[in-house]
Amino acid sequence: MAATRAADVHPPYHYPDYKSTRLRAPAQATVRVAPSPLELAGPAFPKTFVKESEADLTTWGKSAPLGEKMVLVGRVLDEGGRPVRRSLIEVWQANASGRYPHPVDNHDAPLDPNFLGKGQVLTDDEGRYRIVTVKPGAYPWQNHAFAWRPAHIHFSLFGNTYAQRVITQMFFPGDPLLAIDPIFNSVPVAGRKLLIAELDLEHGVEGVALGYRFDMVLHATPMGV
Amino acid sequence: MAAPTPSQTVGPFFAGELVWRDGGKVLFPGQGQRIVLKGRVLDGAGEPVVDALFETWQADASGKFPSGGEGDRPYGYGRVSTDAGGGYTIETVMPGTFKSQSGEAYAPQISVSIFARGLLKAARTRVFLAPLDAIKDDPLVRAIGDPERVRTLIAARDAADPKLYRWDVRLRGAGEAVFIEI
Repeated sequence: MAATRAADVHPPYHYPDYKSTRLRAPAQATVRVAPSPLELAGPAFPKTFVKESEADLTTWGKSAPLGEKMVLVGRVLDEGGRPVRRSLIEVWQANASGRYPHPVDNHDAPLDPNFLGKGQVLTDDEGRYRIVTVKPGAYPWQNHAFAWRPAHIHFSLFGNTYAQRVITQMFFPGDPLLAIDPIFNSVPVAGRKLLIAELDLEHGVEGVALGYRFDMVLHATPMGV
Repeated sequence: MAAPTPSQTVGPFFAGELVWRDGGKVLFPGQGQRIVLKGRVLDGAGEPVVDALFETWQADASGKFPSGGEGDRPYGYGRVSTDAGGGYTIETVMPGTFKSQSGEAYAPQISVSIFARGLLKAARTRVFLAPLDAIKDDPLVRAIGDPERVRTLIAARDAADPKLYRWDVRLRGAGEAVFIEI
């Protein structure tokens, strides 16, 4: 089977069904160049950058947040299958009602004083990470009639090199809203399944939290990094 | 080869904490000529992009690539959110030149990634801190060819304030910046 290339899975800049791309997508073709040696290096995050508690989004408040608790695990590899070690992952998400504690979010759904919806974690020496959170809710947006974003968690990855930096979104299996979401569907068909987590009960906590798995792949790292 | 995870937009609600405190002040272990890179991010109608995440990565003053960090911040990396006027400000040092293993010389430059609602993947480019005639041999400048397009990536030194470099980034339309795929 032919390998799926980066060009086959990344969305285009301009995707008319997602209206905000119309004025913001570059119109000219991108110039393809080799990463500079600078871009094959990358920022190093001191150990103190991330506190262990930041990987658990459910312990911010005085009591547990509302919603369906979940443990999210995964592994970050490069295209060659090598683990992306000691790299920063940032996550943010809506609460269980589909509301962000962000000044621009005017969705008429309740804020949860016990949920801020942000966290960060460093991958371990095998590229693994583990986050504890609640399942985010869907929420309406202005793009088209009955536009509702499917439940999703935002991921920001630094990788081991600047060239690997990517921001993406993770979705949930079986969500009927995926079919009507232009942001998800901007991704070519071959790439869509790569954005959907799998139920992974083995990593859940019996009687407490469901387990999900979301593995990610970053662009190749040069030898020796 | 496994396929990479597809990019998605950062959206409008990236957590405030994604923007580091004083993220526009770039740290380095050594000294260097202090400069300020300042400008606006503009959309296809020429209107300010007020909700972009603007990130920079660069060599230090001697052309070395930073490693390590200070306190809880990595060296060499800038990160700010654009303001109500689409503006960004990066206080940093003039990056030195560097070479690839095969000897290609890179002009003084800063690698830039812009994330925003409406950008399904980062708008990536490199901004040059030297005039056109001084960067002709840079690999990206040669790849672009057309000097008018190259000019979209040159930060202009301010006549009154020599440490200030001004660079507006037009995402689309007249004067659209060159964006790269690396």
